Parts: sequence; C-alpha cells; structure tokens
Amino acid sequence: MDSPTIIFLTESELDLDALLGRITLPTTGAAAIFTGMVRGQTSRGDAHETAYLDYEAYQPMAETKMRQVADEIRQKWPTIAGIAIVQRIGRLYPGTPTTLIACTSAHRNTGVFEAARYGIDRLKEIVPVWKKEIGPQGEEWVEGHYRPKPGE
Amino acid sequence: MHKVKVLFFATLRDYVGSKSLEIEIPFGMTVGGLTDLLVATYPLLEKVKNSMMVAINREYAANEQVIPEGAEIAFFPPVSGG
Repeated sequence: MDSPTIIFLTESELDLDALLGRITLPTTGAAAIFTGMVRGQTSRGDAHETAYLDYEAYQPMAETKMRQVADEIRQKWPTIAGIAIVQRIGRLYPGTPTTLIACTSAHRNTGVFEAARYGIDRLKEIVPVWKKEIGPQGEEWVEGHYRPKPGE
Repeated sequence: MHKVKVLFFATLRDYVGSKSLEIEIPFGMTVGGLTDLLVATYPLLEKVKNSMMVAINREYAANEQVIPEGAEIAFFPPVSGG
C-alpha cells in the first residue's frame, strides 16, 4: 500500500475536503486535520486587531523542509498512512485557513492527533515562511523564536 | 574569487532593498565572513546580525561553514509561517 505525501505551497484557496481525499486510502479510518487561520482579533498578550497578513516563502527550501517534516512524522509514527502539509502564501484575510497539516491512519489511537500537532509545531520551527501583519497600528513582520541548528 | 547568489527575505529584504544579489567572494570565505561583508555594505543589517538565519543551498548553515562555489546563500529572520 503506498503512503501518499502531499507537500506544496500555493497562492490559491485551500480545499480542505479535496486535500483530505488525497490522503484517504481504503485502509483509512481516522484523520486529524489541523488548519491555521488568520486571527482578526488577538486578546492573548499584546491585544490588537489584524486587517490581513502578507505571507512570503523561500519556496524551494520551504518545500524541502516541509518534506523533512513529513519524513520526521513517519519516523516517529510509522502507523501514519497519509500526510498532507500545505502552506498558503500571499495576502490572507481574517477567517482564512493559511496552512493545513493532515495525517491519516487506520484508527484514531495510532498517533494521528500527535502527528498533526508535531507537524504544525515543526513547520513553525524550520519551514522558511514569513508573514507581515497589517492592522490599524501599521505593519510589522512577525518573527519566530526558534533557531534551527545547522543541517536541521 | 567566485560568484554566488545571495537572497534576502522578509525584514532583511527591506533592509537591503533587494531580494537577490549576485556577488563575487574570495575562495574559502565563510558564512561569518560574508555576513560581515554584507553588514559593512548594508549597515541596517547590523541590528539583525545576531538573530538572522543563513542557509547555503537550502540548508541551515553554521557561521564557520565555507561557502562552496556557485552557492545560493539565503539570509532571513527566524521563520514565522503556519
């Protein structure tokens, strides 16, 4: 049985159903789907409003690193069958899904939840994508906090 | 000397005013050496010098790493995708 791995960046709307379909096999009985969204109102920490986000990527390296995240998931959870890791780029408004991490498996207790969680956490650590936040207070590049080691 | 491609993303692109440069560097130059050269040329980079990430040929690189011939070197802030 082949194990589909879907990796891409896109400026187009994410079709969550279609992506799920592409990692669904005859043996699939469970899927964990995480999607990040543009948050229009932030209350945690520095409360503020967001009009939109501009995403940009170092595309070839981002694809390589997204594939690496999928490989790491398969090493940690060999029971995972299908993996989709998708990042949308361009200008995205509140309420819009920006990223999708989905993992499928035969059963729900085989690590699908943990695998999807790991996938989004790793994407935010090593995949070279950045967002500029634009709101009433002006515009600002958002910077992450993680520093990948050489070769990571 | 040999020619390399240097890419800048996000804040760093704003500071340099360019997305991509082709420059000639001496053989044996390290990532740290190239960083110093760029900071000298684009002084705005000084304030992000210690936080920026460097990739050689699409892999995270160490400061002491020697830049291979024809390399693509990217400078960018810590990533913030998702």
